[in-house]
Parts: sequence; structure tokens; C-alpha cells
Amino acid sequence: MSLIKIALAGEGGQGVQAIAEIMAEAAYNQNMQTIYIPNFGLEQRGGVSIAFLQFSDRRIGAPKFNKADVVIALSERAIGRTAGYSDENTIFMYDNSYPVPEAEFPEKAKKIVGLPAIETANNKLHPRVFNIIIMGAAIGLTKVVSFEAAKEALVHKLAYKFEKDPELRELNFKALQIGKEMAEASLQEGVGVRG
Amino acid sequence: MQSTIGESKKAFMTGNETVTWAALAAGAEVMFGYPITPQNEVMHYWTRLAPKFGREFLQTEDEISAGFTVCGAVQAGKKAFTATAGPGNVLMQEPFGMAEAMRLPLVAVIQQRGGPSSGTVVYSQQEVTLTTYGGNGEGNRIVYSTATHQEIFDYVIKGFNSAWKYRFPTFILGDGYQAKMREPLTIYEPQERGIEMVTPYPLIGKAGHIGADREVQHLCNIYSLEEELYDVVMQHAAEYERIIPELVEYEQKECDDAEIIIVSHGVVSRAADDAVKLLRDQGIKAGYFRPITLRPFPEQQLRDTIAKSGAKKMLVAESAYGQLFRLIRQEIYGETIPIETLLMPGVGIIDYDIMTKVKSIL
Repeated sequence: MSLIKIALAGEGGQGVQAIAEIMAEAAYNQNMQTIYIPNFGLEQRGGVSIAFLQFSDRRIGAPKFNKADVVIALSERAIGRTAGYSDENTIFMYDNSYPVPEAEFPEKAKKIVGLPAIETANNKLHPRVFNIIIMGAAIGLTKVVSFEAAKEALVHKLAYKFEKDPELRELNFKALQIGKEMAEASLQEGVGVRG
Repeated sequence: MQSTIGESKKAFMTGNETVTWAALAAGAEVMFGYPITPQNEVMHYWTRLAPKFGREFLQTEDEISAGFTVCGAVQAGKKAFTATAGPGNVLMQEPFGMAEAMRLPLVAVIQQRGGPSSGTVVYSQQEVTLTTYGGNGEGNRIVYSTATHQEIFDYVIKGFNSAWKYRFPTFILGDGYQAKMREPLTIYEPQERGIEMVTPYPLIGKAGHIGADREVQHLCNIYSLEEELYDVVMQHAAEYERIIPELVEYEQKECDDAEIIIVSHGVVSRAADDAVKLLRDQGIKAGYFRPITLRPFPEQQLRDTIAKSGAKKMLVAESAYGQLFRLIRQEIYGETIPIETLLMPGVGIIDYDIMTKVKSIL
């Protein structure tokens, strides 16, 4: 596998860094070269939080990059902040549960894909698994890690929560599955595809 | 020595966590520190792990105090260290100076952040001048600039040995990217790799009568006479110059036939390495030179590399506005190779940036 670069961005508290960490962990467990670096600002909460992920079967150079293969932006502000990471080879995914002004979208993208993650989480699952839907979508878009490896890393990360509330386990797996399927479908069928 | 890691194993962790494991494996007994981003997790992990191995931690009231407590602990024969960044590194220059004056085996990990002042909490290479030549002394320091988590682990272990062997303050110079990012590495016990750790020893309060059984331990950071100070500084300078060949470390790739030599250090050298490979694929003869020790600087090695290659140009790339560039110019004074620069203070540099620059100047 050649180098795959992902930028994940959302509001502080949306769980962007958590899913980036789980994906990086899953890739490492599959013996891949992986770099995960959080872009942290002065703000402890609030503000846009970006995670930079790189996956490869070879040694990875610089920890950051200018253009991503996949950008996933989870809020209007996050779309604005990450538009610059998109070029003609980038799949730019955003949450279309809410309206986004045209001007916020990147000028260049291979595809702009809208996924109703917040809506799906709220109506079909539970608001707290919103970020896991996104993680499923990221895996569906990039195939950087296998679905099983992602599940394993998810269990590893959330073991203590699953112990307290066993229903969470199935809820998270379901969210992961739905996210993956939504992303795959949107790529194939062009659902929610713009530009 | 007490086992910490056991059998060597693969790990996937942040650079700060790597520092902690390396310090444990190196036999560090105590850390003194004060919180500052992006090194906080060194303290965080140390306070979690240290008690399990009978090691200690003290959070002092500020960085000046953290540096001085390290100075005190090492005199008592304890393997001690601290970690800091940015303004914390500025405040610690006073205790670092004491460590130079008294030849104390102080070890400090610096995770560079943006500057000047509080700058950013993120990343830069703007603490090169401060770490190599800060303080009111002559820069008698050992500074290792790391590029990967494996190197952070390796050089923290090596740093403790250099400090206790040569008794010059020793620095592991990382940055916010290295501190915060996760990447794979192998952690190990030094003994397992045949690395013998220098046993710490008290510098003061030794047994026996002064004059009869032993020499006086004259650890001093202030002198009454200017001639006294002169003698000590000259002796330290001579000692430092004598050990340069034992300390100097560098990396060099593809320089023999290079038309352009790209010089970088730390995390930027990862991008330079990739850039050289990609440029070569495109038929551009680029070479890679990286000082691992910024103090002492691999001066002769860089001069030899320039001479051997016959390169037409050199490019210095760094995430600062010319701190490495200044260091290089002072070290290779007299060389006539034209030097171009890619200076990006406080932001990351990727292979594309370097390639674009190279193509614009060749």
C-alpha cells in the first residue's frame, strides 16, 4: 500500500482525536507504518481540532502534509479550516445533516461527499456514537485498515466503557458498520456527491 | 540495574511517552519539572510510571527551580533529568549555565514550540540557538537533535551516558511534532543491547579527609578573581574540544556525486530524506546531510562532504528563520559553496517544499 493521508477535523469534543487514535492503533496492529499527529491549539475546549493521519507499508517522512487523500470535516468551521488540504485528488467528506454555505467548500476536490452522520446518529442510533459512524466512513472511503482490525482497536480503546454498559458494544459496532456502508454507497452510487 | 522494559518489544506511542520509557530504561532516578506544552506528557507519564519502579518526581514552582533541583540532585549522585519547551527553556538557561560552570551531568529534554515568547504550543525548530549556546557561557553542551521516536529512545539513553561520562550538560532536542505524534518504535533495556550505563556517583560529600584521603571537590559557579575564572573556562574549553571527536554524530546520504547538498536537522530531515530520493528519481543529483549533534557540530564532516561531492550549492532547510543556517556558517567559515535557504519558522516542512525550492535554485 502506498502512502495514504487523511485529515479529520471537527469541533472540540466531537471525538475527532479519539477516532484518529483508534484508527492509528488498528493500523499499527496490522503491522503498518503509521503516524498520527493531533493539531492542538491553545484552546483546551472549543475551536477546531484536526487530526493528521498517515498510513503506509514503508517508512513515513514528515509528520504533516499539504494535501490529503481524504478530508473529513465535521462542522462548518472545520470545512473552512480544512479546505486548503483538498486538491484535485482529494475526497472531501462533510456532514450534510445541516446546511453549509457554498463558499465554505474547497475549490478543488476529486469528489465532495455529504454524509448525514449527525442525523443518523441522533435518529437511528445514539448521539454519542456519531464519531464512530465517521470512523466507519473513513475506513469505508480509504480501506486503510480492515473492518475487523478497526473493531478490535475500538474494543481495546473502549473496553472499560463496554464493561460498564454491554449494550454500548453493539451500538458502536452498528455505528461503525453504518458509517462504512454509507461511505461505500456514496462513492459507488454518487449519493450526496457534489462537484 | 532494575528491569523496566524486560525483553525488547515493539511499541506505538507518542514521543513524550518514549522519553519517559527511555529515561526509565536509562536508570533515571528522579525527574524535576514544571508543566509546559508540548512536553507535559513527559511529566504525565513519568508520574504514572516512576512509582512502579521506585523512581521519584517533584513538580517545582517554576522552570528555574526545576533546573536547579536537577543541579542539586546530580551533585548528590542521583541520575536526574528535566523536560521543558519554549519559555521554559529560556528560564532554565540559568541552571543550565550552572551545570556548565560546575560540570554537572544534567540531562534535559527540549520539545521545541513556536517562538518568540509563548509563540505557539505546537512546533518549531526555534530553540536551536538557545539550546546550543544559551546562557552566559561558551556553549559547552552536548545537544542531540532527534528525528524519529526510535532516535528519541536511543538518544535519551545515550544522553544520560554522555552526561555522566563527560560531565557537560546534555540535551535531547525534539519538537512538538515529535512530542505529540505516535509512531512505531522498539523499546529495550540498554543492557540487552550491550550498552553499559554509567553508574551515577556523588560529586560532593565524598568519604575521607580532604587533603589526606582525597582532593577537594571544588564545584564552583562564582570566582573572586578574574584570573581564576579565566583558568577554569579555558580548561573547560580545552576539555570540550578534546572530546569532540568522540561525541560528533551525523548522517550523510547520496552526497558523493551531489550537485546540491540539502542540510537539515531533527524532524525536517525526514522530509529532506524523502526529497532527495524523489529528486534523484527525477534525475536531479541531490544529497542529504544531517547533523545529529548540533553541539558539538560535525564541522569537519560537513567540510569533507562538500569537498568530496564538488556540489555547486547547499540548501539549508529548517523550521526557524536561520538558526541552523547561522550555526552552519560559523562552523564551516571559509568554505565558498553558495548557501541557499528554506526558512519556515514555526511551521512544518514537507518533501514537496524542499523539492520546489531545489528546482527553483538549480
